[in-house]
Amino acid sequence: MVGGFSILLWVGAFLCWIAYGIQYSSDKSASLNNVYLGSVLVLVVILTGVFAYYQEAKSTNIMSSFNNMIPQQAVVIRDSEKKTIPAEQLVVGDIVEVKGGDQIPADVRVLSSQGCRVDNSSLTGESEPQPRSSEFTHENPLETKNICFYSTTCLEGTVTGMVINTGDRTIIGHIASLASGVGNEKTPIAIEIEHFVHIVAGVAVSIGILFFIIAVSLKYRVLDSVIFLIGIIVANVPEGLLGTVTVTLSLTAKRMAKKNCLVKNLEAVETLGSTSIICSDKTGTLTQNRMTVAHLWFDNQIFVADTSEDHSNQVFDQSSSTWASLSKIITLCNRAEFKPGQENVPIMKKAVIGDASEAALLKFSEVILGDVMEIRKRNRKVVEIPFNSTNKFQLSIHETDDPHDKRFLMVMKGAPERILEKCSTIMINGEEHPLDESTAKTFHTAYMELGGLGERVLGFCHLYLPADEFPETYSFDIDAMNFPTSNLCFVGLLSMIDPPRSTVPDAVTKCRSAGIKVIMVTGDHPITAKAIAKSVGIISANSETVEDIAHRLNIPVEQVNQRDAKATVVTGMELNDMSLEQLDEILANYQEIVFARTSPQQKLIIVEGCQRQDAVVAVTGDGVNDSPALKKADIGIAMGIAGSDAAKNAADMVLLDDNFASIVTGVEEGRLIFDNLKKTIAYTLTKNIAELCPFLIYIIAGLPLPIGTITILFIDLGTDIIPSIALAYEKAESDIMNRKPRHKKKDRLVNKQLAVYSYLHIGLMQALGAFLVYFTVYAQEGFLPHTLINLRVEWENDNVNDLEDHYGQEWTRYQREYLEWTGYTAFFVGILVQQIADLIIRKTRRNSIFQQGLFRNKVIWVGIASQIIIGLILSYGLGSVTALSFTMLRAQYWFVAVPHAILIWVYDEVRKLFIRLYPGSWWDKNMYY
Amino acid sequence: MTKDEKSLNQCLAEWKLFIYNLTTGEFLGRTAKSWGLILLFYLVFYGFLAALFSFTTWVMLHTLNDEVPKYRDHISSPGLTVFPKPVTALEYTFSMSDPTSYAGYIADLKKFLKPYTLEEQKNLTTCPDGALFEQEGPVYVACQFPLLLLQACSDMSDPGFGYSKGKPCIRVKMNRIIGLKPEGVPWIDCVLKNEDQTNITTYPYDGITDLKYFPYYGTKLHVGYLQPSVAVQVTLAPNSAEKEVTAEYEIDGSPKLKSQDDRDKFLGQVMFKITAHA
Repeated sequence: MVGGFSILLWVGAFLCWIAYGIQYSSDKSASLNNVYLGSVLVLVVILTGVFAYYQEAKSTNIMSSFNNMIPQQAVVIRDSEKKTIPAEQLVVGDIVEVKGGDQIPADVRVLSSQGCRVDNSSLTGESEPQPRSSEFTHENPLETKNICFYSTTCLEGTVTGMVINTGDRTIIGHIASLASGVGNEKTPIAIEIEHFVHIVAGVAVSIGILFFIIAVSLKYRVLDSVIFLIGIIVANVPEGLLGTVTVTLSLTAKRMAKKNCLVKNLEAVETLGSTSIICSDKTGTLTQNRMTVAHLWFDNQIFVADTSEDHSNQVFDQSSSTWASLSKIITLCNRAEFKPGQENVPIMKKAVIGDASEAALLKFSEVILGDVMEIRKRNRKVVEIPFNSTNKFQLSIHETDDPHDKRFLMVMKGAPERILEKCSTIMINGEEHPLDESTAKTFHTAYMELGGLGERVLGFCHLYLPADEFPETYSFDIDAMNFPTSNLCFVGLLSMIDPPRSTVPDAVTKCRSAGIKVIMVTGDHPITAKAIAKSVGIISANSETVEDIAHRLNIPVEQVNQRDAKATVVTGMELNDMSLEQLDEILANYQEIVFARTSPQQKLIIVEGCQRQDAVVAVTGDGVNDSPALKKADIGIAMGIAGSDAAKNAADMVLLDDNFASIVTGVEEGRLIFDNLKKTIAYTLTKNIAELCPFLIYIIAGLPLPIGTITILFIDLGTDIIPSIALAYEKAESDIMNRKPRHKKKDRLVNKQLAVYSYLHIGLMQALGAFLVYFTVYAQEGFLPHTLINLRVEWENDNVNDLEDHYGQEWTRYQREYLEWTGYTAFFVGILVQQIADLIIRKTRRNSIFQQGLFRNKVIWVGIASQIIIGLILSYGLGSVTALSFTMLRAQYWFVAVPHAILIWVYDEVRKLFIRLYPGSWWDKNMYY
Repeated sequence: MTKDEKSLNQCLAEWKLFIYNLTTGEFLGRTAKSWGLILLFYLVFYGFLAALFSFTTWVMLHTLNDEVPKYRDHISSPGLTVFPKPVTALEYTFSMSDPTSYAGYIADLKKFLKPYTLEEQKNLTTCPDGALFEQEGPVYVACQFPLLLLQACSDMSDPGFGYSKGKPCIRVKMNRIIGLKPEGVPWIDCVLKNEDQTNITTYPYDGITDLKYFPYYGTKLHVGYLQPSVAVQVTLAPNSAEKEVTAEYEIDGSPKLKSQDDRDKFLGQVMFKITAHA
């Protein structure tokens, strides 16, 4: 975690130990401070590591609770006997049998099948069940109908097939290895931290070398100068920051987990905030991954059905008697049933036995008509012909629920054009009309329109069999087809789609206003993809693709000016023929892009293309086919409920509610944490100078050391920790969701302005304030500032026990040392008091503190209280513990630095005022961090 | 490899551009005007800070009394120190036959005794013995400290302070602390580690420090103040070639003056070692 940082601390620790080694070799009684410091540094690294590990492990635990790993079984024919064996024992050449509801145990070539349909959505993104038979239909194994893939589910029917690939050699296995082959990119925050470490190291080494040269020219021994050099470098290491950053990130991670964004990798917390492109999968992410009735057509009219998650209000006109007939067909010509034992589950959430479109129809009719099973019971089914791919229709014959009507009712549904062929009349307003040219035309227009929406259209028709020809005792025979299947009455059309989640359009709009480009990348068909893209706003209402323009102007596609089109739909086939440059061009030129029919490899290429544009790319997905792209992305976001394990493993973040809208929350939190980390770092860096200056003055002017190593540690790892974490709770200064995503290379976490302002402005002011307290303490005890200059050698000489002060008093070494510790405590208190001011000014970067509200962030006050309490405990509680070198400080010294603290506040308010007054001015450019 | 070289070249070029950019006239990333502005800003800013710091320090210094420090809590009890100052930590090593080995000690002692010469002391007051000499000011006088008190260890009787004879003189003095008023009869007590071989004499007798030298009023007021001290003469047994004596002194007789402290080895006590070669 935060690699560069730990390295900095490790280097610091080793330098400390080296320094001690040097001191020890020349003086056996050298102080152990350096050893302690080194050990503390290592301890910080280890503790932070353990903390981060614990945090991430907690997320992983939540993850693993999703996988209920049931060992998969397979029915295999071996030695001409059916056996059930664990799926991993299958070998190539085994003949396996799979029935509806089972998972496919390996890649299987179909030998024979009966009405088999599989759910390939996790592999290809197709929401609809795919029929499987023994015919070879396509060169591409993913497209051909005679291969079932490992880990997909057989929804219905049975299939017998031969195993052709197992384990890693399956298509899923290939994708998995593709995913594991993708290197883990550095997260943007890791890059930022590294950049920050470079700055800190640069500053440390340059100050170190500068003062090394000064020390040598001041005739210090070279060895001592080396110790100084190391001391300066180590003093620059912000010991507390690694822990603070980790805690801050995990606080945000926790906050995000509450909003259903589970972060697996702490560093990924910020990534969403800097995201500039989201490549979203369609199925299950933008859509509900559930076929739902979207439109109806009857009485020559198209009606819109409610496709929201709960189907709450179906507002279309249900008074027409055509609807009565249509609803009867929908209810009766349907083999899907609810699984038993779900009485208390809302209808839309009930599990259904049957394929996706039948389930959609079942739920649709259950919502509108009430108990479907009861209706079916009243209209007893006499005989039925299930759907098959040659007939392309489904038929059943029922008794009617009207006891006076002895006729049988034949109901039929299927592909609209096949249904229409079988009809001679059409029902309009409950009356049968002959089907003529003009009604056929309206039918076709409606069919085309619904098909154009990317919806799956079904036609419905019925026929009341005359009672004289088909008496109650008539025996129907499906093989002989001893009943009419033509001259039926056409009733209506129903179209279904996997509808978008209701929260998605809003979320897409929010992403847009936050300057994030949303690209759809799906394995599904372009028409469906485009329709969903339009309905969620990925393609906005008023933008057109080249094809749309061509269609509108009625000109060939080639003549359309490419620039006029804002949106584009690119299919996998087109992508195959494209060079990388062409892809880059598309990504750069179009605002609204949909990629359809893409393979996992192509998803990867698209993500890489986006990354070549210097974008921070987020990929959302749920299927196995998404996992390589999830891994490749700067941040992979998997769906928690619908997502496959492969996707969740590859992702950095999991949306527990599968809701795309949660991403917006994530973006907001990510941006906020970036801003707040800036504040935290600025806060922490400031006192570095106040801690370093004493050492530099000590070397140059020979003052008794104003602040000791241990004391510094108590600031860095004691009083300053809670305040710097408290900054993570700071609210945003302006609407961060209306701002463009930060530029990866321009908007740095720690920029020059931040470093300069912290080091050379506030840091220096702080140092001066702390020196004032230090000088006051010494002066009031008898050592006036001028007497301190160049006193160092005598002061630290153990054999000088009668050092004279300004007033002629003589001090023993220990008395001096005790005074030195009082000096440390005074300097410590000086820094502490001014850090309170520093903490308050860091609440905002542009706004006045009074605009932000001094008391809105309560945690800041907890931080300030903690600072003061820790300070009091150190000075008054532990003042007698020699090793800590704190002493009881007179109460008034706490107030010496207060004017400086106020000055810091006023100065920063002035800075912010000028920034607000003169945006873009010299001041703004140099002072805004 | 070629990529690396290229990036190295690029890196160099970027640095060159950073150091001096011909087209924009930027030097180290800033134009002359920009440098001027920023330097001016820092000049003003730091000028202001320096002035502010000087002012606050000046104010702070003005709250101080020039004669007495505000607080004396860090030196409540005096330390004991010895003269001459040994080269290494409180170990005197010299050879009786080699005057150069102890010339440093003698010079040190002489320097220390300089204010005690009769000439220097002739303007000082003779104070009544045995009581604190408290003064109200505005003029504070210093009491005489007759060198005669030190008898054999005053340079009047032996300018060599006995080093050549194997009877080296060491002076033990109490640190000056303003306003310190010991009670009782403070005396500097000797604890000799290997008593049988040596003889030790303390001047004045028993190391008594007269109360009239207290309290001290600080360099500014108490001009010419002579701090009382005790001379110790160690007579090393003449028979052996190399002699070693470890002596420890501590303040006794005044409960206010501490002589035991775990951390401060010089608070009211001092220990030193004398090694004399033939």
